[in-house]
Amino acid sequence: MKNSFDEKILEEANDWVNANQKVVLATVIQTWGSSPRQVGSRMIVNEKGDFSGSVSGGCVESAVVRECIGLIKDNKPCKKLEFKVSNESAWEVGLACGGEIAVYLEQVN
Amino acid sequence: MKLQTLRSIIEKKKNKSEFAIITNLSNGESEIFEKDKSLSKEMQIYSNQINEFFKLKKNGVIENSEIFVETYVLPIKVIVVGAVHIAQYLVDFSKSLNFEISIIDPRGYFASEQRFPNMKIINKWPDEAFKEIETNENTALIALTHDPKIDDPALQHALKKKFYYIGALGSKKTHESRCQRLKEAGFSGEQINSIHGPIGIKLGGRSAPEIALSIIAQLVSETYKK
Repeated sequence: MKNSFDEKILEEANDWVNANQKVVLATVIQTWGSSPRQVGSRMIVNEKGDFSGSVSGGCVESAVVRECIGLIKDNKPCKKLEFKVSNESAWEVGLACGGEIAVYLEQVN
Repeated sequence: MKLQTLRSIIEKKKNKSEFAIITNLSNGESEIFEKDKSLSKEMQIYSNQINEFFKLKKNGVIENSEIFVETYVLPIKVIVVGAVHIAQYLVDFSKSLNFEISIIDPRGYFASEQRFPNMKIINKWPDEAFKEIETNENTALIALTHDPKIDDPALQHALKKKFYYIGALGSKKTHESRCQRLKEAGFSGEQINSIHGPIGIKLGGRSAPEIALSIIAQLVSETYKK
């Protein structure tokens, strides 16, 4: 049996929506190699860049926040991001652990 | 994700039902999958794979598709026998974990609302209490009274029902006599050895929260071994 940890992150997303905030869900949908968080791990971001939860061990969260704010500004429904080891060109951030992750962003609407 | 979907997920979690969220990554559309409930037209072609993910309680993208499946499993039922000081910390720790604790204690003065606010405590002897709780091999037992009158019937029930985790508080000596009693009651060596006693991983701590931490650590570890 997996998942002995319940993050209650969707409950928090609902609270944020109730407080009239725009919310983006960022979910780990794929991992390759060693990655800090398993598939299904999630963080939420609002239009101001406040965030809760995590998709890595702090390695790519700042880039995810930036992308989420962009998604809200452009009013796009969803976007897929991929992070690799020290991906210098695009993100300035990467995963020190040597793994790769795909993170899916979707607006709550 | 639609706000409506988000809210029904929260509702389903509250109602303790098992389900999965199916997301089409190409357009962000998502829907809730439940056993014996039909999927939308677009998702029906993935029905076999979705059922497979659901059965294995697995999250992931279906191969050669843009479909992401996220399964939600029920919290693990943990029965604590003894509304003692350690139990108060077990309740605290379990708040951030996917454990649903029920406490059994026939001694009314321990099981007070003040000591365990918003907590369902079954103020009965274990044999009576277990008539109210459905248990199976996905249930865990933490016996904390180290009083044979209270702990033993609960341990016997847990062994018979093949709980995946059974732990009992008490020194090595207390545990030895406990094992002896269970042997006399007809339990096999293998069954008796499956009891974690003295309970918890070796942390070296002695206070109630430290003991609770060592018990929770063992419980998590055993949960992932399943």
